[in-house]
Amino acid sequence: MTFLEIVSILARGAGFTILVTLACILTGFFSGLLAALLFRLDIRPLNWLLHAFTYTFRGIPLLVILFLVFFGLPSIGLPIPPLVAMMLSLGLICGAYLSEVFRGALEAVDPNELMAAQSMGMRRIQILTAIEIPQMLRFSAPGMLNEFTTVLKYSPFAYTVGVPEILKEATSLALTTLRGMEIYLAVGVLYFLIYKIMMEMFLWVERRYAIPGFKQI
Amino acid sequence: MTLLQVRGLTKKHDDVGVLNGVDFSLCKGEIKIVMGPSGCGKTTLLRCLNRLQEPSSGEIIFDGEEITAAAVDIQQVRQRIGFVFQNFALYRHLSALDNVKLGLRKLRGLSDAEATQRAIYELSRVEMQDHQDKYPAHLSGGQQQRVAIARALVMDPAVLFFDEPTSALDPLMAREVANLLNRLHDEKVTILCVTHDVTLAKNLPGDVLFLNHGRVEAEAPISELMKNHANENVRAFFEQKAPSE
Repeated sequence: MTFLEIVSILARGAGFTILVTLACILTGFFSGLLAALLFRLDIRPLNWLLHAFTYTFRGIPLLVILFLVFFGLPSIGLPIPPLVAMMLSLGLICGAYLSEVFRGALEAVDPNELMAAQSMGMRRIQILTAIEIPQMLRFSAPGMLNEFTTVLKYSPFAYTVGVPEILKEATSLALTTLRGMEIYLAVGVLYFLIYKIMMEMFLWVERRYAIPGFKQI
Repeated sequence: MTLLQVRGLTKKHDDVGVLNGVDFSLCKGEIKIVMGPSGCGKTTLLRCLNRLQEPSSGEIIFDGEEITAAAVDIQQVRQRIGFVFQNFALYRHLSALDNVKLGLRKLRGLSDAEATQRAIYELSRVEMQDHQDKYPAHLSGGQQQRVAIARALVMDPAVLFFDEPTSALDPLMAREVANLLNRLHDEKVTILCVTHDVTLAKNLPGDVLFLNHGRVEAEAPISELMKNHANENVRAFFEQKAPSE
C-alpha cells in the first residue's frame, strides 16, 4: 500500500472532519454573535447568564463537556446524536471565545459613526445591521480565523463519540496494517491541506470585504 | 416664518448646568451662528436640539411641534434635521456614494437605483461626484466634510446643523466650507452652525448667538459683537480671538 493509497483511504473520513468543523464553526459563529449582541443590551441578570456561559465553556475541557452532553444527557432521557453533541460542546466553546472577540470588535466601532446614524433618524436595529455588525465582522476577522483553526484542530475529538472522521479511519487502518508512521503522517498531511484550504478561503473573503485604506486595529 | 423655537432649555450633567436656560429662534432660510468660549455648551446645545442628548427641561418647538414631549417619534423628527459632525463621522466601511445612499435606502425605502440617482445628485451639489467610489480613509478632511454635507442634504432636511465645520480643516479648506455654506444659504437652506472660528463667522451672513456658561448673552451680527460690545464676556472673547485673525 503506497502513501497515496493511504491518503485516499483516509480522505473518506475527511468529509466527516469537514462536516464536524463546519457545523461547529456555524454553531460558534451564531452563538458568539448572539452572546455579543445580548451583552450590548447591558441588562444585569442577562449579563450574569452570559458571563456564566463564556466562563463555563472556556473553563471546562472540551472532552468533559462532550462526554457530559453525549453520555450524560441520555441518562436523563435526552439522547444526543454525535454531530449535535460536537456542536453543543466544541461549537459552544468556539462561541464562548468568539463572543469575546465580537465584543471587542463592537467596542472598536467609532461611537461618532453611531451618533451620526442616530442623528439621521435610524433605529437601534438599523444601526446594528447597517453599521455595527458589518464593521464588527471585519474587525473580528483575525480572531475568527484563530478560532476556526482551533475548531478544526479539536475536531478529532468527534472520534470519541463515534464520528468516522479522519483519525478514526486512521486508527482502524493502523490496527490492521501496523503502518502507524505513514498513516499518521498522512493524517497530518490531510489536516494541513484542509487547514490551508480553509485559511485561503477565509483570507479571500477577508480581502474581498476589507475596508479600503483602513488599517486593522 | 419660525422653524425652530427654543425656550428655557437646560441641560445638567451630574447637577452641573451645561445649558442654563437657552432661548432663541431660527427662521426658515436663515443662517445662525452659535459662538462662545470652549465649554460654554455649544455642542451640547446642538445635540439637545435633536435629542441626541436629552434636555433636562425647556421647550423645543420644531416646525410647530414640541419635540421634547415623550410621545414624539424622535426618529421621525431627526430625519428632518441634517447634522454635520465636527469629525465628519462618515461610515468608514462604506464608499462616499454608499454613505449618502444609506439614509435613503434604510429610512426612505428607496430602491437602489433611485437612491443612487439622488445620492449622485447631492454629491455633485458639493462637487464630490468624481470621488463617489472612494472610501473615507482615501478622502481629505475637506472632501469628507463635503460628503458629510451631501449625506445630510440628501434627506431633504428642514434645517442643517453644523458642529465646528472648520475645526479639522486647513485655512484653504475652511474657506471652501464658508463658500459652500453661503451657497446653501442662497439656496434657502436653513442652517444652525456652531463654531469658534471668527473668520468663518465673518464670512457668513447670519446673526451670531453668543453663548457663555450655558446662557445666550448676546445675539447680533458679528460686526456688532466685535465692536466694543457692552457685554464684558463678548468683548473678552473677541479681543482674545482678534490677534489671530
